[in-house]
Amino acid sequence: MEVIKAESLTKDYKNGRGIFDLNFVIEKGETLGLVGTNGSGKTTTIRHIMGFLKQDKGQVSVMGMDAWKKASEIKKYVEYVPGEIAFPDLRTGTEFLKNQAEILGLKDMTYADYIVEKLQLDPSANLKRMSKGMKQKTAIVAGLMADKDILILDEPTTGLDPLMRLSFLELIEEERKKGKTILMSSQMFDELEQTCDKVALIFEGHIVDIADVNKLKNLPYKMYKVEFLDRAEYEKFKKLNFEIVRDQEKYSQVTVKVGNGEMHKLLQTLKNYHLKFIAEVNYNLEKYFMEVLKKHKEEVKNATN
Amino acid sequence: MQLINKALFKQSAKANWMRWTVVTVATCVMLAIVIIVLGNLGINDIRDSLKNVFTEANQDSQLKEESIDAYDSYFTIMENYDGLYGMLGIDFNGTVGSKIENTCTQFDAYYQDFVTQNGREPNETERQTLIDNAVQSFIDSFGVSEDLIEAFLPGMANGMTLDELKTILAGIIDYYDTEYVEPDEEEQTEYPIIDNYFAKQIYNEAYAQEIAEEGATEEYALSRAESAQIMAIDIVKQYQGDVANAGSTYDYEANNYLTIATTYVNNTMYQNVYDIFIEEGQTENDARISAVAVKVISNSAITTYQMLLTDEDFALTVDTTVTTIPEAARAEACESITDQIPEQVAAALTELGDMDIYGLIIGSIFYRIAGLLLPMVFVIMTANSLLAGQVDSGSMAYVLSTPTKRRTVSVTQMTYLLFSLFVMYAILTVVSLLSVWVVGGNAFAINYGEIALFNLGAFLTMFAFAGFCFMCSAIFNRSKHSLSIGGGLTIFMLVCTILGLFGSNVVPSAMRIDAMNFFNYLSIITFFDTVSILDGGLSFLWKFGVLLAIGIVCIIIGIFRFDKKDLPL
Repeated sequence: MEVIKAESLTKDYKNGRGIFDLNFVIEKGETLGLVGTNGSGKTTTIRHIMGFLKQDKGQVSVMGMDAWKKASEIKKYVEYVPGEIAFPDLRTGTEFLKNQAEILGLKDMTYADYIVEKLQLDPSANLKRMSKGMKQKTAIVAGLMADKDILILDEPTTGLDPLMRLSFLELIEEERKKGKTILMSSQMFDELEQTCDKVALIFEGHIVDIADVNKLKNLPYKMYKVEFLDRAEYEKFKKLNFEIVRDQEKYSQVTVKVGNGEMHKLLQTLKNYHLKFIAEVNYNLEKYFMEVLKKHKEEVKNATN
Repeated sequence: MQLINKALFKQSAKANWMRWTVVTVATCVMLAIVIIVLGNLGINDIRDSLKNVFTEANQDSQLKEESIDAYDSYFTIMENYDGLYGMLGIDFNGTVGSKIENTCTQFDAYYQDFVTQNGREPNETERQTLIDNAVQSFIDSFGVSEDLIEAFLPGMANGMTLDELKTILAGIIDYYDTEYVEPDEEEQTEYPIIDNYFAKQIYNEAYAQEIAEEGATEEYALSRAESAQIMAIDIVKQYQGDVANAGSTYDYEANNYLTIATTYVNNTMYQNVYDIFIEEGQTENDARISAVAVKVISNSAITTYQMLLTDEDFALTVDTTVTTIPEAARAEACESITDQIPEQVAAALTELGDMDIYGLIIGSIFYRIAGLLLPMVFVIMTANSLLAGQVDSGSMAYVLSTPTKRRTVSVTQMTYLLFSLFVMYAILTVVSLLSVWVVGGNAFAINYGEIALFNLGAFLTMFAFAGFCFMCSAIFNRSKHSLSIGGGLTIFMLVCTILGLFGSNVVPSAMRIDAMNFFNYLSIITFFDTVSILDGGLSFLWKFGVLLAIGIVCIIIGIFRFDKKDLPL
């Protein structure tokens, strides 16, 4: 079931800013990450889903309802942690959370208390004097406490210390396991890689690529970097029938791509060579997107030429 | 559809109660101080004393006019008196007067004889014969031929013929026969028949004169003639009394009509005032002092009048085509202080005397300016913080990420703004009414009803501003825009009202700069018409309607705009 669906979603802020022709689908129970640099359009995309902004073209729907027209209706299913941390003019965090619960019509605070504990937050502190991390935690509690089916988070980990980030990611993992549909934006590839099923890369308002994280994690090949001690052996190896993806002559280094079942072939070949080292080259989301982006930029460049 | 979210309302109340409390308390204290201080200071004392000056000046001029009027009447009567008595040759030590009186008795005798002889009353012709016989008996009583009668009747020397004399005598006898009533002891004069005949002549003259005047009713003419008659008898009696008292030392030369009339008028004025004051229960001494003051005024008026009448230079300056010299002289003599100072200064002073300082300070300055400032600050800041401020900071996201509609948010916030304003003015109304009660209730220059209307007007003015600021807050996503347009224009209008005050009618013309009134056209506070409220007019009502309409239209625009716009949350 398509929970969130964007079809050629466009919002033109002029001067090249905005989002253009976005298409993506989030299935029920799926977690989509949005990654991109500052000003690339992540927040604008989220605001459209929340019904705060009206698109120029295209459509966003949540549970089959138009996000703009049925903005208040879809909020029955959607909970939101905004990127901008600002609270209503109330004294303490507790007061704010209570008020928010009242607006939500939420009577049972056990889940809210659970999150508070998990994030080790003291909500009785004065809202104005909270540190950035505390404010972020308060915002997360306010956003998640209603325990709705769809979770939208705009850069939720900014300001959290590494330990808290871990607790938070655990929390998201729990939410995922409950079967919630999650959309989360971030500038950190690794945390998206950990939590998301799919990650969309936004660049200058366009979705350049949507990567399947599980596929990236389970590639059918691995890459190894090998450095030879003997220059002649290095030359000889290159002539063998291995797929060399990178060749660094200066250091007598090669990077070899090997199918998951063919590792033994490489090892048998290499046992007769004098090697300085052999190391597996990790392939991650960041590397993947860097390549995609490089390719994209070249395409754009060629298109304009 | 649920239009008001209780939790959000509570949140707004919690966020703004401090500002609300400070503004309400401060404005209440200001208002109470203004009313109580003004109520005890008696700032209208100066105004009242100024007003007294003008009232006194007017009374003074009225008194002078009355004196001159009386003087004119007296003078005319004296002249007539002199004419009649002079013609008849009556002097007070002589016998002519008594002889004329006796002639009337003679007529009675002839009349009785006729009735006895004929056994009936005489008809008109026969009566005239009897009168003629009586007149002849008067001439005969001197015992000389008709040619020599002049020597015995000094009046004849003035050119009167014997026939004319006979006609007058016949008139007196006719009067005696038909109208004369023996006067009471009090009204007794030296020659009762002649004197009353004289008074009757005055009566006839006055009646003819009054009837000739345009618009005078018969009744009025009769009453005027009657008072002239009474006055004539009075004058004659006084004059004869004076002469009798002085005896042979009476100086006819020194006591001409001018002095006699003046003295009579002064004395009459004195007596009248004295009597009135005694009647009002004042002490004799006080009554005498006041009466003397009046006598002095009357005397000076008459003296001025006499002088002007005989002043050739003055006569030359008078435009006789417009007024006669006596009228001009009278007008000049009766001028009051206000007539004597330049017209514009007089107008300014009169205005200052009429100015309502309470209305100016409480209505135009407090309710329209000073008392609006703090509620305005409250409205500007609160309206901004209710929508634009929360959108700008992003805190609005929390409300809007719940199933609360945008419409519910805007209506709730608008309701809070208006509700807080309403409660503020409800408290202000109670405080102002209590303050008025403390300084004397309806006896105070501004009564309960007016104060209540002032509060209503101020509330409606603030309602219009609240609507406008709310609209700005709903339209703009940035606080700085909402504040600079909503707050800026609101404060601009207040400043315009301050500047416009110097051009409005509530400020005395001496301090007014009419061109400044232009500023009033730039401010909707002009629709809060405190002057109309104090005047008891109703034009303030439609102006209240305009304020209400401005507020409502702004609110509706704001609510609809907030539904449709992009929110950067």
